[in-house]
Amino acid sequence: MKNYIKTLFVLTSIIFSACEDVIDVDVDTAETRLVIEASLDWEKGTTGNNQTIKLSLSSPYFNTQDITVVTGANVVVTNMNTGDIFNFTDENDGSYTTNSFEPIIGNTYSLQVSYNGETYEATETLMAVPEIKEINQSIEGGFDDELLEVNVYFDDPVDEENYYLLNFYETGDLFSFFADVSDEFVNGNEVYYFFEKEDDEDNNQAPFQAGDTVDIELYGISESYYNYMRLLIEQYYSGGNPFSSTAALIKGNCINPTNPDNYAFGYFRVTEVDVATYTFE
Amino acid sequence: MKQLCLVIFLFTSLLCLSQEKFSISGTITDTTNGETLLGATVYLKNTNFGASTNEYGFFSLTAPKGSYTLIISYVGYNTYSQEITLNGDQKLDFELQESATSLDEVIIVAEESETVSIKKPQMSVSKLNAQTIKEMPAVLGEVDVIKSIQMLPGVTNNGEGSAGFHVRGGAADQNLVLLDEAIIYNTSHLFGFFSVFNADAIKNIKLYKGDIPAKFGGRVSSVLDVRQKDGNSKKFALNGGVGLISSRLTAESPFFKDKGSFLIAGRTSYVHLFMPLIEDVKDDKISFYDLNLKTNFEINKNNKLYLSGYFGRDAFDLSGLITNNYGNATGNLRWNHVINDKLFSNLSFIYSKYDYNIVLDFIELDWDADITNYNLKYDLGYYVNNNLTLDFGVSGLIYNVNPGEVKPSTETSSINPLKLDEKRAFEGAVYASAEHQITDKLALNYGLRYSTFSRLGGQSITNYVNNQPVVYNSDLGIYERGEAESETSYSKNESIKTFGYFEPRFGVSYQLNDASSVKSSYTKSTQYLHLLSNTASVTPLDVWTPSGQYIKPQISNQYAVGYYRNFNDNAYTLELESYYKHVDNRIDYIDGSDLIGNNNIETEILNGEARAYGMELLLRKNKGDFTGWLAYTLSKSEQRALGGNAGGPGINNGDWYKTAYDRTHDISLTGSYKLNDKWRFSSNFVFQTGRPVTYPNGQYNYEGLSVATYANRNENRLPTYHRLDLSATLTPNRNPDKRWKGEWVFSIYNAYNRRNAASVGFSQNNQTGLNEATRISIFGAIPSVSYNFKF
Repeated sequence: MKNYIKTLFVLTSIIFSACEDVIDVDVDTAETRLVIEASLDWEKGTTGNNQTIKLSLSSPYFNTQDITVVTGANVVVTNMNTGDIFNFTDENDGSYTTNSFEPIIGNTYSLQVSYNGETYEATETLMAVPEIKEINQSIEGGFDDELLEVNVYFDDPVDEENYYLLNFYETGDLFSFFADVSDEFVNGNEVYYFFEKEDDEDNNQAPFQAGDTVDIELYGISESYYNYMRLLIEQYYSGGNPFSSTAALIKGNCINPTNPDNYAFGYFRVTEVDVATYTFE
Repeated sequence: MKQLCLVIFLFTSLLCLSQEKFSISGTITDTTNGETLLGATVYLKNTNFGASTNEYGFFSLTAPKGSYTLIISYVGYNTYSQEITLNGDQKLDFELQESATSLDEVIIVAEESETVSIKKPQMSVSKLNAQTIKEMPAVLGEVDVIKSIQMLPGVTNNGEGSAGFHVRGGAADQNLVLLDEAIIYNTSHLFGFFSVFNADAIKNIKLYKGDIPAKFGGRVSSVLDVRQKDGNSKKFALNGGVGLISSRLTAESPFFKDKGSFLIAGRTSYVHLFMPLIEDVKDDKISFYDLNLKTNFEINKNNKLYLSGYFGRDAFDLSGLITNNYGNATGNLRWNHVINDKLFSNLSFIYSKYDYNIVLDFIELDWDADITNYNLKYDLGYYVNNNLTLDFGVSGLIYNVNPGEVKPSTETSSINPLKLDEKRAFEGAVYASAEHQITDKLALNYGLRYSTFSRLGGQSITNYVNNQPVVYNSDLGIYERGEAESETSYSKNESIKTFGYFEPRFGVSYQLNDASSVKSSYTKSTQYLHLLSNTASVTPLDVWTPSGQYIKPQISNQYAVGYYRNFNDNAYTLELESYYKHVDNRIDYIDGSDLIGNNNIETEILNGEARAYGMELLLRKNKGDFTGWLAYTLSKSEQRALGGNAGGPGINNGDWYKTAYDRTHDISLTGSYKLNDKWRFSSNFVFQTGRPVTYPNGQYNYEGLSVATYANRNENRLPTYHRLDLSATLTPNRNPDKRWKGEWVFSIYNAYNRRNAASVGFSQNNQTGLNEATRISIFGAIPSVSYNFKF
């Protein structure tokens, strides 16, 4: 929700800004780190047995090469409540898989990654998510009342603080669009979120039109992962804007207990997710 | 308190030294419009006896019995002299006639009163009068007080089109901005593109960058003292202007049989009328307006009442999706009372309010916030003798802060109502200060202010486990919100927390010769109110918060030395100053702090400190067809916050880092050249080191996105900023007897169309998937024309 308030300033600065251009900037290059993309997402209506964890290395900001994947690591997930151990198999392409994961809502899981003589650890609790109640389209809503947007509705449970991650992906796009949502102002109510694409030729972005297909994922996430994604999203979409918070390193939950300075980037999340697809009419 | 008693004792003991002396007192005004003249000098020829007028045009001069020639001078005005015999206390009011050049509106000789007095101990002060400000080229022809003071040494902005200003490496919220003594909480229109001061209603401005007189308090960086005109007390007058962005109209007139006068000034923008014509913004509306009011009424020779007010508003409407409006409202009722020839008093009752409202239509949310204060203060000036002037007084201020209230904007809205705790506080102060000429060459300025601040009850305060609102998570290496343990509820008549500080102020000047002097000063000041902002630029939506249980008052100590010199009989002046400033308890925000709608701000901040030091040079040319100045500042401004009670190394690993308003080099050149009676040309040139920013130092792939990684805060800088503005003023030849006088102002802002970076954003290209840096520049070359008139 708060992103919307900040959007006000971004929009205002756009009204006044005479021009935007891409320039060359010299940036520093930090040392390479391990990147852990461990997203154990239990899709509603599935067993959740099949899971993949990806490992790679960080790179210079203006890197033009493909990312460097990490092979040869040892990846294990443990259910701290039951003691069950899930070993992930190295697929030699940077991904590590299992087909025996057992997701249990509210249980806490730990991740252990051994790579290059170092051990990285993280723990996370599997959060539930409500169902996507309705998806529809409209023109009048959203930021621009001439462009199509897709609206997603779900019911927020009243008894606790809830945090959500939404992912919109239009078939054919290079990237997903992410949004962080908390129930801070809307606890216990029906929550609604819209996604609209602006007409931006410079950035090769066209508004939605009839026939376009959007995949929508609604994740139930922990408060700490919400904090991580909130910052990531703010920095990703408005990095450098003078009205956004000072950019800072976003630290995930993958620590290195024996060598704390050598922590890993990325996150170990365990979520429940509801998935839907919408085709514009 | 003991120190204060000591100072008062010191004063009173000095009073006994005078004998067989008489005083002359009165006010000095302009013959044509009756405006009081501030800082006019009154002296007795061939003696050392002299005085200057205060903010209300009042002076008091004491000399031994005898006959003298009294001389009154004020630059831009004809010098007045009169023979007087001093054999008793006398009251004399004087009117000065503007010098001959005033037939056209151009003042060729820059105001001498804008230069720092060689003799007086006051330093680190910059004065500008409305005329100087109006002569500078401005963005879209909009004369702007805040932008003009940024041409002075030691004053910078925070990027083009951003609100606020920064003095000597201080933050924007550390400036006390007063409009006729009322606090202005937000100085900007249109999110910082223009300032709230309508130059037509302003008499003059004074900016104290250091050596702040004891009568001011409550902010640690500077005081910007803006005074409105009193209103023409001689005849009805109209003046105004038509510009590209806004139009202005000011009316002033005597009333109540010349016992009083008033001024009413209005300004309104009309950008919104043109916006429907532009495709991209056709559904948006942006507008602002403001109203200035000033009236005064003379009850009798010794009693005068003033009422002044300001009301300004900004409104935005972005396609009906987001509507936002904000503004300041102030009022001040003052009673000037001349108690006797030597004792002048002023009682003020002041009201200020700043509020904002946002409606986010698409999520049906309505948000309100405001800050209100009431201030009662009593200031006295005692002109003891020729060598000693005392200022003393008391002040009481009540704050009401409503940091935010969220309401559903429609019946169908899914937003739950929420009201953040209202905060109340009382700030009291008592002060005394002296300007003391010790010998012919040595003068002192010393004073003491005692301020106290009580955070009042009527709300609950959260208690945290281990008394830690913020906790360092050593596993993840990040700061996190502390765990709330309980709440303590305070009733309305209870005080949650009380602070009290002595704030000594000291200045000394030593005159080396007729044309040069050295000065030094020390100022301690305290700030109890903090503006919460974790963004690089201040926004109108930032919330003020009072000190209390978890937020300590900011305390600054500033030391300054300076060298001042006049050349060629004041044709040129040189001011050279150097300063060091340290601020304790400057709050800093943890990485990822979330301030919007947060009732527990203490969970997002650490207690930090700030320091700034630098050297300023100001070379002015005051006389001739060409006038202007060169200002150069070499400075550094840093801050840090250690972990303290929260544990851990602190923000940015506890290292000092550059503030967003650190500028190593800052050069401002401004000049005005009068070609003939018809044409005048002005220009500004600005060159400064780029704003510190944080650039990425790497990336990693996560969820298909390239996520940037960052090292320490503000280690990089935007490209160097430079810009040239030009303007030409045409005053058509007119019959000087005609009442209507007009002028055309043609200007080009950013004449060579430099694409100065307002910011550099980093993002991933949608087509290539590669990262790129995008420069956003706000103003290209902007030509403009405006017409000003006087009737």
